[in-house]
Amino acid sequence: MILPSAYLVVGALLFGLGLCGVLVRRNALTAFMSVELMLNAANLTFLAFARHPLRGAPSLDGSAIAFFVIAVAAAEASVGLAVVIAVFRSRGTVEIDALRSLRH
Amino acid sequence: MPVSLADILALLPEILLSLGALLLMMTEVFLAGARRGYQALLAALFTAAAFAAFLAQRGGGPRVLFGGFAVSDGFALFAGATICAGLLVTVVLGAGFLAPRSAERGEFYALALLAAAGMCLLVRAEDLLFVFIALELMSVPTYALVAYLRTGDRPSEAAFKYFLLGAFSSALFLYGAALVFGATGRTSLSGIAAAGGGKLLLAGLALVIAGLSFKIAAVPFHMWAPDVYEGASTPVTAFMAVGVKAASFAVLTRILVTAFGAPALAAVWQPLVVALALLTMVFGNLLALTQRNVKRMLAYSSVAHAGYLLVAVAAASRGFSGPSARGEAVSSLLFYLAAYTLTTAGAFGALAALERMGPDPQPWDLDRFAGLAKRRPWAAAATAMLMLSLAGIPPTVGFIGKLLVFKAAVDAGLVPLAIAGVLASVVGLYYYLRVVVVMYMQPAPLGSVPTPASWPLDLVLVATATLVLLFGLAPAGLANAALSSTGLLGG
Repeated sequence: MILPSAYLVVGALLFGLGLCGVLVRRNALTAFMSVELMLNAANLTFLAFARHPLRGAPSLDGSAIAFFVIAVAAAEASVGLAVVIAVFRSRGTVEIDALRSLRH
Repeated sequence: MPVSLADILALLPEILLSLGALLLMMTEVFLAGARRGYQALLAALFTAAAFAAFLAQRGGGPRVLFGGFAVSDGFALFAGATICAGLLVTVVLGAGFLAPRSAERGEFYALALLAAAGMCLLVRAEDLLFVFIALELMSVPTYALVAYLRTGDRPSEAAFKYFLLGAFSSALFLYGAALVFGATGRTSLSGIAAAGGGKLLLAGLALVIAGLSFKIAAVPFHMWAPDVYEGASTPVTAFMAVGVKAASFAVLTRILVTAFGAPALAAVWQPLVVALALLTMVFGNLLALTQRNVKRMLAYSSVAHAGYLLVAVAAASRGFSGPSARGEAVSSLLFYLAAYTLTTAGAFGALAALERMGPDPQPWDLDRFAGLAKRRPWAAAATAMLMLSLAGIPPTVGFIGKLLVFKAAVDAGLVPLAIAGVLASVVGLYYYLRVVVVMYMQPAPLGSVPTPASWPLDLVLVATATLVLLFGLAPAGLANAALSSTGLLGG
């Protein structure tokens, strides 16, 4: 039997990893993957709270949200990857440090 | 979940916007060979219809839609009408800006209409799930819009920065929402308010505020704004500065007042919002001071205006002020949003009117404004009026907006914050008036080629400047409309 809090801990760890990834990694694709990690951490947390609520009976609200988030994340990923491709086409690299034409 | 026809009819503005977007995409498929001038007209018609639908709904009382997912209340209707007004200006700007660059396509208007539909849904969201979906429906088309005009390196870079930070902020918001859901077991805003909760709720609240602070570009979450605003094509910048900010402010206010309005919770978030407002006003204005690039200057100026709007949000906390003071604060927020929308959209219109075609290393330098008063006196007068309104000088609507916001802050007991706001806006005078001085006092640089006039851009300039002056001289109508729109359902 896995403790309910274990899911929350994993969710928090994933979120922290994603957060650090966005802030630290200098590759556009890796940073993008880190954001996806954060979204999935939120999903896991929603599901854990839906299955093992701190108060009240288990509800389907959290599970429903997870489904919507998966769909929305897919839409976001398609636009995001298109933007990354546009960046690659205009400069031949996806390193974030190369994005410096808009700097004062 | 009981869904009645009345619920669907209440979403008529959003339905009109989405229909318009779909229709415009279809024109791109079936009528691609033809001239594209009609697309802007079509987009403007649907936008005007959505605007009219918002106004027409104002008579009815507040209602809950779709079993508590959304509401139709005065606050949502006023904010929705403001967003549609911003979209209308964007569409006309788009027509005047894109056609000479041979970049007019149905996608541009379709994406803008879809994003606006997301914004209008956002301002009436009453459930964290609904907020998230509307937030993404607003953001995802906007990411694509930023990359729309693909000339040079700038738009794709701006789009990437906006996408990364936008997705990051959405993820922050979503994790915060997950924690709020865990603490309360509810996702509806009024349910959260009824349930209350402990430390977990506070952590969720902090993440929700941080996520939305990125969207409104409050210091210290503003780093993306100048780069993205500069890199996006000017009509898109106007749309982001106006629509995204108005919708995000509306939803931030609704979440804070409705879900976290209990005195114990308001005592936690009010100092946070006060700190954000202070930082945003001070740094927004100071960073704008040094800009010679007018587009970046306007970007920092929109950061500074987020600070003034945050003052109104702080004043709306219920824990410290009575219900009437809260109503005053919310109405000042709505009035300021409307004033800011008109003025900022017009100011970016002025910028679009001066921008040259083709590659240009410094397209938005202050020198572009030199000698404008001689060359095009009407455009110069309109631009001057918009700059005065941004600075908050009478007799413009910007002055009335600042007056109402600072008065609400004083009535809510936030006197030091109001004083800081007045001082910050005095700093702002310098860089707004500098544009006016350059237009009227400096001759055009030798050998400079003036940008040819374009009637849609001139129309935007004259219309916004006239409205700014009109609402500044006779603000009672707009102020009363804002005052009667403060009923936040469940708040």
